[in-house]
Amino acid sequence: MGALNQERIVLLIAVAIFVVAALALPDFLTPGNLIAIVRSISVLGILALGMGVVVIGRGIDLSMVAVMAMSVAWYLHLLNDGMADAAALGLTLAGVVAVGLANGFLVAYAEVPAIFVTLASGSFVFGFVRSQVISQDAVPVPLGHWMMDLGALRPGGIPADVYVFALMALAVWLFLRFTKWGRYVYFAGDNPVAARNAGIPVRPMLLLRYVLSALAAFAAGLLTAASLQSINSRVVNSTLLYDIVMVAVIGGIGLSGGKGGVRNVLIGAALIGLMLNAMTILQIPQLFQNLIKSGVLLAAIVVDGLLNPRDEQTAQQGDI
Amino acid sequence: MTLVRMEKVSKAYRGVPAVREVDFDLKAGEIHALLGENGAGKSTLTKMLAGAVEPSSGRILLAGQEVRFASPSAALEAGVAMVYQETSLIPSLTVAQNIYLGSEKFLNRLRGTFISAQQFLQSLNFAVDPMALVETLGAAKRQMVEIARAVHHNARVLIFDEPTATLTPEEKRHFFALLRRLQARGVAIVFISHALEEALMIADRITILRDGEQVAHGPRSDFDRDRIIAAMVGRSLSGELYRKRTAESLRKPGRKILSVQDVSQGRMVRNTSFSVFEGQITGVFGLIGSGRTETFKIVAGITKRDFNRGGVVQLDDRPVRYLTPAEAVRDGIVYVTEDRKSEGFFETMGVAENLYCGQLAAPHHRRIFVSLAEMKALAAEWTKRLNVRAINDNARVVELSGGNQQKVVIGKGLVQRPRLVILDEPTRGVDVAAIAEIHKLINDLADAGLAVVMISSYLPEVLNLSDRILVCRQGRIVEELSPLEATEEKIMYAAVH
Repeated sequence: MGALNQERIVLLIAVAIFVVAALALPDFLTPGNLIAIVRSISVLGILALGMGVVVIGRGIDLSMVAVMAMSVAWYLHLLNDGMADAAALGLTLAGVVAVGLANGFLVAYAEVPAIFVTLASGSFVFGFVRSQVISQDAVPVPLGHWMMDLGALRPGGIPADVYVFALMALAVWLFLRFTKWGRYVYFAGDNPVAARNAGIPVRPMLLLRYVLSALAAFAAGLLTAASLQSINSRVVNSTLLYDIVMVAVIGGIGLSGGKGGVRNVLIGAALIGLMLNAMTILQIPQLFQNLIKSGVLLAAIVVDGLLNPRDEQTAQQGDI
Repeated sequence: MTLVRMEKVSKAYRGVPAVREVDFDLKAGEIHALLGENGAGKSTLTKMLAGAVEPSSGRILLAGQEVRFASPSAALEAGVAMVYQETSLIPSLTVAQNIYLGSEKFLNRLRGTFISAQQFLQSLNFAVDPMALVETLGAAKRQMVEIARAVHHNARVLIFDEPTATLTPEEKRHFFALLRRLQARGVAIVFISHALEEALMIADRITILRDGEQVAHGPRSDFDRDRIIAAMVGRSLSGELYRKRTAESLRKPGRKILSVQDVSQGRMVRNTSFSVFEGQITGVFGLIGSGRTETFKIVAGITKRDFNRGGVVQLDDRPVRYLTPAEAVRDGIVYVTEDRKSEGFFETMGVAENLYCGQLAAPHHRRIFVSLAEMKALAAEWTKRLNVRAINDNARVVELSGGNQQKVVIGKGLVQRPRLVILDEPTRGVDVAAIAEIHKLINDLADAGLAVVMISSYLPEVLNLSDRILVCRQGRIVEELSPLEATEEKIMYAAVH
């Protein structure tokens, strides 16, 4: 049990950063800053939960950031046009589910690699909404809308984002751990052919996963808009997408599928949150922050490979 | 002349010994068969010789000089080549390019490579087109290419790990002729096999390993089938494996559960028709490529038969056309794959989870939530029933021996409570002791009233277990035999003519 794997290495690094930052940075260990850390990873964490479910099932969803920004932009646009809230929300949700279904359908039934499908659908969602629906990069939240209140809501002094993240993490954990469909994600991720032969509905489950990741993206978008009081579609062209993949992978959810869970997302998010916060306090420029993040990701994967080499036997045959 | 001498070599994986102080020697121009159950240490021993695995202790002498190979390429440099079970060829390159792989000149001329490869293949008397892409070749020709590559590197020692497993009888004859030619050239050959008859036929000397230790060795004349099996398992199993069938021991057919009429699928399955009955074992024999697996994958809903003129499949006199295996499982049809590694088990998971997968996907499991207690109870029940021996409870299936893996894969199917179970090559790559256990399990299933289909390439298994024998050839069931009248020759005659 004492084996060092990637998950534990990342946890150790996160703890080390926390201790060093707490000792060395005077502003670090204040309640305000700690809350800021948790808040900063809430949106990223929600996105990574959706990505995690897809990646465990041996897929990847590169359309998440586009869905996140453009669904909320569309929703806000409809509201600003005077549509009733329920109708606008329903329409947007239908759109989000449709994108998830389209992704899942193309991956499961048309058997196009997930990376191409979601790259294309992300570009399509961004391009379509940006060119056909909204006329400016940023869409503001209309005055007096509930998202304004949500952004200002701080039960117990902690922003609402954090509660939403915690609830969603719990829900995804329960789903993956205790429901049949959640276990199916692992079976399909480990060995899709064996899963299908055993009678698991592999393709419908694939659809479900992409719908879940699209819904997680929509939720993350709503929280972003609530805290910033607008949504900026230019986030689609930022490094956010890579941060999501990184949170999932750095925590130990292997891209080969079947491995990891919510705990890995939490650990990955914690490391990224701590690093970003410490670097921001140290006033390290954004460009260097990206460099350091990628260095840590590489290091975690390399160290894992060194500490847990693929058994020379099982790599060959599985028999001694 | 002794070419290779391995003295007291040992190898342990994470403290678990795989090979313990084995002495092994190999003369130039001899064929040396290395036998043993799965897990006996055959592969590990030869991999140490071929530089793929580093010995924990002991020494290896090649032509009197002590050697320590850092890598397989260093061993190849010294003239020791290993031909693996799965070929190490690159499918998208031509035969010629594969032969010269790793020894290309800096300025590589394709035409020059083809010409010299052609001459080289001719000198070996191999009928392989050097321009052909490896992916278009059959198993036997791929093996020829692999051997040609090894010989091209001036291998003095050639190690074959289960070379005949994927070959048809015709191809095997060619392969053995080739071994003889290599032997005549003075090449020392190590031959690892599960097929004891082959070892007895071709080898000059035989070494038998059990649990990582050498238990017997000597010239071929010292051995016969029974003695080899006794040495391999430490007891005589041959009586258990090869009892004579009598009319009383055959099970009578029960209700007809499955009837297949004129089913076709592409080029692999052509107008095949047959029936399967409850309460007996239907043995299906066919050579590789005869369409036997494809036929039963259609029955189990894994592949779809042709939409037009695809024929009729009837389960309990009700026509069925499955789109997914899930529908077949719901109707009580379970297919246990011949390729457990790539489509049988979940390698990141343990025995319990693999078995539980079958339970979750089964029609009788209706609850949405999973239960750890249920999983543990299921695992306890089935590991006991199937006698699965894992290192510990958390051991991943991929770490188990072939026999235990196969038991888990069969168990995963049986927890779904099938009425018709299709076992495709249930004992491929399984050690002798586990074969006996799996055979007993198959008999028990039929005695319990299940319809059992057993697809096998191993004739003694087909003859011994089946209550009916179907022979598949070129995509069609061509012959039905009773095990009372059938002989290995009769079955093979139907399968090849």
